[in-house]
Amino acid sequence: MMSIQKRGAMGSRFLAVFAIVILAQMLGACSCSDNTAPTEQAGLKVYRVALDQTPRDLDPAHSSTLYQNHIVLNLYDTLYSYEYLARPYKLKPRLAVELPEVSADGLTYTIRLRKGVRFMDDPAFEEGKGREVTAADVVYSLKRHFDPETLSSGDWFWKNRIKGLDAWKEAGADYAQPVEGLQAPDSHTLVIRLTKPYPQLVHTLAQGYAGVVPREAVARYGRELATHPVGSGPYKLEKFDSTQVVLVRNPGYREDRVDLAAEGFDPALHGGLGLERIDGLALPISDRVHVYFIAEDTARVTSLTKGGELHTARLPALMYEQFLASTEPAALKSQYAEQFNMVAGLESGFVYMNFNLDDPDFGVTDDPAQSARNKALRCAIFKGFDWQLRNSAYYSNLGEIFPGIITPTVPEFDPNLPRDTVTRDVPGAKKLLTEAGWNADNLPELVYGIPSSVLQTQYFEQFRGFMGDIGYPRDKIVLKRYATFGDIAKAWRNSELPLIYKGWTLDYPDAENTLQLFYGPNAAPGSNDSNYRNPAYDRLFEEASVMQPGTNRTAIYRRMNQMVIDDCVSTTGLSRTQVLLWDKRVAAYPDRGFVGGFYFPYVDVPAQER
Amino acid sequence: MGLIPFIVRKLLGGIPLVLGVTFISFLLMVYFGPDRTNEIVGKNPTAEQIAEVRAQLGYDKPFFARYVDYLTELVTLDFGLSASSGQRVSTVLATAVPITLALMAPGFVLGNLLGLGFALVAAYHRGRWLDKAIMGASVVGMSISFLIVVIFFQLLFCSSMGLNWFPSRGWEVDSVSSYLYYVTVPTLAVVFVALGYNTRFYRAVLVEELNRDHVRTALAYGTPPARLLCRNVLKNALIPIITRVLFSIPLVLISGSLIIETYFGIPGAGKMTYDAITQGDQPVLKAVVGLTAVLFVFTLLLADMLYRLVDPRVELT
Repeated sequence: MMSIQKRGAMGSRFLAVFAIVILAQMLGACSCSDNTAPTEQAGLKVYRVALDQTPRDLDPAHSSTLYQNHIVLNLYDTLYSYEYLARPYKLKPRLAVELPEVSADGLTYTIRLRKGVRFMDDPAFEEGKGREVTAADVVYSLKRHFDPETLSSGDWFWKNRIKGLDAWKEAGADYAQPVEGLQAPDSHTLVIRLTKPYPQLVHTLAQGYAGVVPREAVARYGRELATHPVGSGPYKLEKFDSTQVVLVRNPGYREDRVDLAAEGFDPALHGGLGLERIDGLALPISDRVHVYFIAEDTARVTSLTKGGELHTARLPALMYEQFLASTEPAALKSQYAEQFNMVAGLESGFVYMNFNLDDPDFGVTDDPAQSARNKALRCAIFKGFDWQLRNSAYYSNLGEIFPGIITPTVPEFDPNLPRDTVTRDVPGAKKLLTEAGWNADNLPELVYGIPSSVLQTQYFEQFRGFMGDIGYPRDKIVLKRYATFGDIAKAWRNSELPLIYKGWTLDYPDAENTLQLFYGPNAAPGSNDSNYRNPAYDRLFEEASVMQPGTNRTAIYRRMNQMVIDDCVSTTGLSRTQVLLWDKRVAAYPDRGFVGGFYFPYVDVPAQER
Repeated sequence: MGLIPFIVRKLLGGIPLVLGVTFISFLLMVYFGPDRTNEIVGKNPTAEQIAEVRAQLGYDKPFFARYVDYLTELVTLDFGLSASSGQRVSTVLATAVPITLALMAPGFVLGNLLGLGFALVAAYHRGRWLDKAIMGASVVGMSISFLIVVIFFQLLFCSSMGLNWFPSRGWEVDSVSSYLYYVTVPTLAVVFVALGYNTRFYRAVLVEELNRDHVRTALAYGTPPARLLCRNVLKNALIPIITRVLFSIPLVLISGSLIIETYFGIPGAGKMTYDAITQGDQPVLKAVVGLTAVLFVFTLLLADMLYRLVDPRVELT
């Protein structure tokens, strides 16, 4: 047998070898650790920003999320964009020379394009050299949404709006065939003719969906255009995978310079952010933009606070307490205020809860008396819902609660609307139930669907608690889990659930975008998943939909808003506050709303010192 | 039986396995997987548009026709384009798999070698304090969630609250130093978690081997411990060791790396597979499932051949 000493010596030797292996690896690795990737080149301005989700692809025709928009709008040009700093958001020309000339009847838009704008060099073009962007490219890009091969998710912007475009699709989507409503009388003039006035048209032409795509690139890459973008934007794609996008300066980008005053700069609002230094600089300012997709909150915040690895990120609501000294107004704790700038702004959207009015237990039936009882039940449930507690429990009280479906971020918002519909009233709810003849025995089973997640389960439990307070039996509020958001979206579209709790992100800053959520013809499978069908509401919607912005249209919008409130279709709402932090060395004004995709080229970062 | 007939027989025997796995997984994909239609259609689709998109996605085709298409893709190794990104599936795999191999290999190798080393020490000193200390540490390591380990190591080595030596995310590898820079912390996390499991497993195997008569005889002849453990013990314990190592590889490739890749922002095969599942990216999922099944068949074959190599008594039947 071996002696104890020998055995011990052998164990010690092994442990020593183990320690040496690990240390050697760490020392070798540390030789390049200065919190920047070893591959970065000195002297370049590299902006690093985090987004919470990965874009599915980079084809403008699929640009349905803000994450896709952030990237697509930097690769492709759009006719219009939003001023960098102006709030409320203001449209400005981008590829267009100016805002469009609109005919007196509001049906014809004439848009002149800038000359000399070129697509980036790519093998798709003759001799690999990018050619000039023309009005025909805009026509082609809009037609592409109506080509079934494209699988566009953006066609709804222009569906039944542009003369002849839907018919073009029905006729087989032959690009050689002209469309009456999309004409290019010369290479730099675009004429759009509408079936009826569409005041939001210019907003739609500022979305990622409206990115201008060259026909040659689609011909060459087909579906792979989604990962091989060819545009005329300020950046080119260098790398795209599930964790990041790397954008590099487009060397052929036109001569555009920052005019801070024209971008809505206000010293009172934007002073101290270092933005003055970008005035007059050529766009894009940063040489490279690295966009990291970090879904995990801890990983994102670790990366941000590390120093140099990340310049900008959204602060998760669950970490407000750690970072914020106060929430009203939002202010950073001193140790973070030294390192970061912060903007706390409302999201361009809201969360809300709809009833599916096609559900016989809660909605509208052939029996008026039953419909009236169902309405009382819906109103009671809404009275029992506590938005304040939802806000404090899950949004650190930073969300803004408001009545109705016109969000605080649009100009038509009415701050004076009575708040009783978003103020909890348990006695009132019980009284409504009693008066309508509801009791614990005859209340219907309420199926509450969620995409499977811990947070959604917590929402459900809180909701069930609220309902318990108004006398709704716990066993009658049933949780139904769906594996993914796509699955529950399918259930909403198929009218399978009586109650729908969801969020909506506005496509453009106009209340029409949320009012259409309750327009009868948009009923499921459309976006009106409450299946609200109110002829008076629909008439007003149609009347307002052709009106230019103004007091008359706002008055109509507000009447519609009141109808949705009165009919207890939806309990709304809460706009979440998005807290964005960015490194103080960076001159920027980040945005996750309508300017989200447009602000990258304006960001100024100190050059790499390595 | 000769080697070639043996290989052919094993490969033919693997066909039912591949068919079974692909059929069951495809059944689950089609009937229980995410439906991408709702992602693709716009905000106000009509029933006609939904039907149009379903047709584009091939959802309207009969199940068996789709399954036959799948088998054809598997045979030709052409899975078409990713339904999510539009990239060729072969490109997606060719990008992601090498990254996962590079990411997981050091942790996998170190975890097994160190596990084996600790197991040898523990087995040799079985019942004594060193054995108890190693086994106790193994249990501690096994008891801590991988997720917690990853977060802790990230905070310790990669954040301003800790040592801040390494990147908290990314994979910009173009040299040995950059490779070490990005792979070190994931490797430490993998080793930390794997070490406990490996040590306990290998110790059990080695203790059994240490009790054999030939080992006692070797000890009686005064064989030095290192030689005894390597030549008499380890060699005879190779079959279960080979089995464990080989059958871990497909799992490490596909699932083991998910948490690491997600938390460290590394675009590897684990994250690719997870994204394909959640996004209902059937072309990628079909490729992963089918190729994993094929990989298992080859692993079985390789295991049988290695058994024969380390123990000539094993018959190639």
